[in-house]
Amino acid sequence: MASFTASSVSFSAVSCSFKQNKVSSLGKASLSFSGNGSPSRRLPALRFRVSCAAKPETVNKVVDIVRKQLALPADRDVSGESKFATLGADSLDTVEIVMGLEEEFGISVEEESAQSITTVQDAADLIEKLLEKK
Amino acid sequence: MKLHCFERTFFHSSSSLTPIQLPAPMETHLWYVKPSEVRSESLLDQYLDILPPCERENVLQMRGEELRKSALLARALVRTTIARYQINSHSNPRSLKFRKNLHGKPEVQWQFRDDRHPPPLHFNISHTSSLVACGVTTNAQIGIDVEEKHRSIKHNILSFARRYFSKHEVQFLAAISDPQVQRMEFIKLWTLKEAYVKALGKGFSGAPFKTFTIRFKGVMEGGFNTLEDLSLKASEIVVDSFDDPTDLTSNWQFSLLELANSHYAAICTEKHGAGSGKRNSPGKLTVWKTVPFLEDECVSGTAAVKVIHGVQ
Repeated sequence: MASFTASSVSFSAVSCSFKQNKVSSLGKASLSFSGNGSPSRRLPALRFRVSCAAKPETVNKVVDIVRKQLALPADRDVSGESKFATLGADSLDTVEIVMGLEEEFGISVEEESAQSITTVQDAADLIEKLLEKK
Repeated sequence: MKLHCFERTFFHSSSSLTPIQLPAPMETHLWYVKPSEVRSESLLDQYLDILPPCERENVLQMRGEELRKSALLARALVRTTIARYQINSHSNPRSLKFRKNLHGKPEVQWQFRDDRHPPPLHFNISHTSSLVACGVTTNAQIGIDVEEKHRSIKHNILSFARRYFSKHEVQFLAAISDPQVQRMEFIKLWTLKEAYVKALGKGFSGAPFKTFTIRFKGVMEGGFNTLEDLSLKASEIVVDSFDDPTDLTSNWQFSLLELANSHYAAICTEKHGAGSGKRNSPGKLTVWKTVPFLEDECVSGTAAVKVIHGVQ
């Protein structure tokens, strides 16, 4: 069987973990009044949440569902950046994936939203947005 | 069945494509490639070579050799097929430009020397990893979808249907007791619905699957059908749209085929001049199996094309 000699694009999980760090470092931010300088008057730490980045657990669950639906070989890299189309998902796969996500997370995804999901990260972000609304 | 069959032809010149006339109004041309039958590395390189850099990049981004191959063949098939019709001297597959309409449906961006009339050629492609198809019509919107007959559905068929299909379609599927038959009827229904949405060209959310019913006229009436009813070639496929009363059933015609013993193919085309009182005569369909630049074979009327519904 003929094969391609061009090297394939590989997706790294770097940006996904970068976002995670971003969230946690912001989460540690705290404000303090230096009014009378007393440490006990410090306001409690404010937790900033970067609302566009889903939790890693959510991303991982999406990855599992995608792997299962597309029957991907174990050595196929799948991460937040992975596009469904380049993983080989056709429209029926995408609909099954969305259905799998609805079942796993107990949410309901409208057609407009489903159509706009192109990557694993998009799906994870949408899931968390829908979960927040509940 | 009125079918045209050209002589089987072989071409050894690497860049020759059989020129062909546009389909007549109400006629559809369907071209398909089986990736497993394209084994020559130099041929695949030729296909890569006719793509512009962005399409080439898209192909190479696909994860996995099989996916890259079918993605490449999809682009090669659409370019070489359109080039065959030699519209306004667009006879070089390499020079064709494509764009997407407002809703993401691909179309040719014709390069004119003069003027405002877009050529009448319409096309639509569909591919699985094992078959790539391109349908062509004249002056009529077209949508096609192909699926492997034995494709596995991960979810329970009826759960899936309840979530995405219309009530009538759920009833139709629920009435089928054999799970294998139910799965195959589900896949057929899916391809028909996909073909319709693609013909409309408004995107998946432009015509959500729940908002229209595809049914076999003459079969659904009066309750549940028997297995024999399902195989009636004479029964017509019709679509009822709940959301859009202006989109009449009479505007669209469907064909459902079994291709190469392995795939279901649904074709939905716009019907013109179909007013009330006009008899519903399905159009002509001609099917070619091709390996672009290498060989074309007209397979209409052979075992490679089994008409399930539609074209008579």
